[in-house]
Amino acid sequence: MEKRNRKWMILLSVVLCVVLMYGCTVMGIASISFRDVNRILAGEILHFPVDMEGISTGSIAIIRNVRLPRVILGFIAGAALSVCGAGFQGIFRNPMADPFILGVSSGAALGAAVGIVLHLNKSFLGMSGTTFLAFVGSFLTIGLVYNISKVGKKVPVATLLLSGIAVSQTLSALNSLVMILNKESMDQIVFWTMGSLNGKGWNQIIQVLPWSVIGILILLSSARELDIMLTGEDTAIQLGVNVEFLKKKVLFASSMITAAVISVTGIIGFVGLVVPHVVRMVTGPKHGRIMPLSLLFGGTFLIICDTLARSLVAWEIPVGIITSVCGGPFFLYLLRKMKKGGVS
Amino acid sequence: MEREMLQCINVSAGYGDRLILQNVNLTVMEGEFVGLIGSNGTGKSTFIKCISGLLPLKSGEITICGKKNSRLKNRERARMVAVVPQSYHVEYDFTVEEIVMMGRNPYLGLGKKESQEDYDIVKHAMKLTNTEIFRGRLYNELSGGERQRVILARAIAQKPEIILLDEPTSALDVHHQIEVMELIADLNEKEHITVVAILHDINMASRFCHRMVLLQNGNVAVDGTPSEVISRKNMESLYNMKLMIRESPMFGKPEIVPIRVMEEKKIRKPCHVHVICGASGAVRILEELDARGYEVTAGVLNQGSEDWAVCQELHLKCVEAAPFTPVTEEKQKENLELMQSADLILVADVPFGISNLMNLKGLETVPGRIYFHKNALSSDYTNGKLVPLLEQLGKVKKITYIGDHDEFLERIKTEQEQ
Repeated sequence: MEKRNRKWMILLSVVLCVVLMYGCTVMGIASISFRDVNRILAGEILHFPVDMEGISTGSIAIIRNVRLPRVILGFIAGAALSVCGAGFQGIFRNPMADPFILGVSSGAALGAAVGIVLHLNKSFLGMSGTTFLAFVGSFLTIGLVYNISKVGKKVPVATLLLSGIAVSQTLSALNSLVMILNKESMDQIVFWTMGSLNGKGWNQIIQVLPWSVIGILILLSSARELDIMLTGEDTAIQLGVNVEFLKKKVLFASSMITAAVISVTGIIGFVGLVVPHVVRMVTGPKHGRIMPLSLLFGGTFLIICDTLARSLVAWEIPVGIITSVCGGPFFLYLLRKMKKGGVS
Repeated sequence: MEREMLQCINVSAGYGDRLILQNVNLTVMEGEFVGLIGSNGTGKSTFIKCISGLLPLKSGEITICGKKNSRLKNRERARMVAVVPQSYHVEYDFTVEEIVMMGRNPYLGLGKKESQEDYDIVKHAMKLTNTEIFRGRLYNELSGGERQRVILARAIAQKPEIILLDEPTSALDVHHQIEVMELIADLNEKEHITVVAILHDINMASRFCHRMVLLQNGNVAVDGTPSEVISRKNMESLYNMKLMIRESPMFGKPEIVPIRVMEEKKIRKPCHVHVICGASGAVRILEELDARGYEVTAGVLNQGSEDWAVCQELHLKCVEAAPFTPVTEEKQKENLELMQSADLILVADVPFGISNLMNLKGLETVPGRIYFHKNALSSDYTNGKLVPLLEQLGKVKKITYIGDHDEFLERIKTEQEQ
């Protein structure tokens, strides 16, 4: 890919993204006219002096407090999970890696389940009890997995993957146990684990954004070293990469992002696995290209899925279901088309 | 001014409880081209791992350019030491240029973009290794020799003081082996990069290295110039086999000729064979007879001939004459004395001329049976003197004519067994 082409591609993606975000804000069950949406966006969000006459306060509230933050949160979540996926796939040199591979999601789910069962309605640090416990749960999990895998000063990748899977399975079992013991909360817990952007507002954006921005910046700054990691750990050391530090950095940043996102949205699967993959098919293995494009496409992908989730049928479908249902076949189609096994 | 580039003091290292390197001491000076040799499992690769920071030492200290290796950050080390592995496979689709650019990593800060200078250095490295033509191609799609050149380019892009090579040519065919070695020698000479290379091929090491280090049982066994290291004693203990050392006429460096690992079946009864030779045609039969346990003598040999060299290597008793001098009557007398106790006399595949025809004079006086290689008849430069001489000899003694040396070996073996 030539340099100029790459710039154009990124620019095109950004434009596409903005157009989509706009489109998804316009679409929705409550019928608010195209013209009104534009006026609300211009007046309420961008603070242009626009004549707001004839627009009900209800419409304004829907656009300002429901649809727009939902689209923005969707973008952040999709973007963050996708960049994490790219980072994990790089550090593990494994195309099957996704942000949940070390059990972050199971930890979050268990935390959330406990929160739901205990009916924690009080908020901690501006988060709801459930969100807070999910966040804590995912962080404890990653700490546990990391410490189990540690051999001396090193963390072998293979051990990390295995203990991630083991811990994840254990936590899932505990989660099931919590559900069985509290049958009245089962629906809520199951719903939570399927992930949804329903009812999320600016508050949640504020909770997720700082973690995501810091994490994504850390990951983006590690792009070159991640490339070198793909050529093997020993080679990376011989080329001056502080491999152990890089692993810690990527694991920490990714887990931080993932924990922040899913503690708010629930477990939105598949985005973090499929988006970096699809992007890699186009861009090749360089993380300097995969990560920014994953960010854009991941965000866009989740917005589209969420729009489908809230408009396909009369009631809300958890977005995690949509991402998997849409992403899976598309991914398989690409794999067959590439006929190279996907990881090239 | 010569600096100490690499200094290893009492280096011990290994995996788990098993020590591979034991108290290795080695100092490499700036600009040297050192070949590390040693049989499999003696710790050559482990040694390179220790220097390049992959394996911590159990005890001892490695100093690179005056800095303690254990205290170096990977980045700092990678600016001084580059490693070229045996063969190198990348599962991902990186282009050649991207791979070479990875060599600039130790100079690039976190998230920093490659500068024009980096691109220039990469270009220069690719030029030196003739890899510019495929800079845009995928590394995966290159052949083994091309890949090795790319990895060499990456090492050059690191701008190192020392390049460590771990059997850089063992996966390549002869053409590419020589190509890669020439490139390395060029770098050593023109870019003044110190080279430490593990080499399996002794003759390659002898040809390109200034200095050779023989590692054995995790220790430096011999350290010196190729002529000092490649001695029959060292090589036979290294490879545990029979071999020959000779000076390569092409490069003036010692080279080894591996002969055999399996012992030949020894003869049962002692038997003395005297071989009349003197050029290069008897090299194999001399060795073969010796290996089978015959007592072998030879004569008259001109010093410097290959037959003579073999006798020297195998410590065979022989009558020798100065190079390019005719065989005199005194020498032939000595030769005949040596033949007195011989059970068999073999006139090997040797061209006869005026100056060595003397070798056949007086054979009627010795008791041993005479075998004559027919080839000697077809390379007759004696102006017709050879045939009458043989006819005369044939009247007194029986001469058995043989077609080749294997036939001779077969015949004497069956005679022995009877």
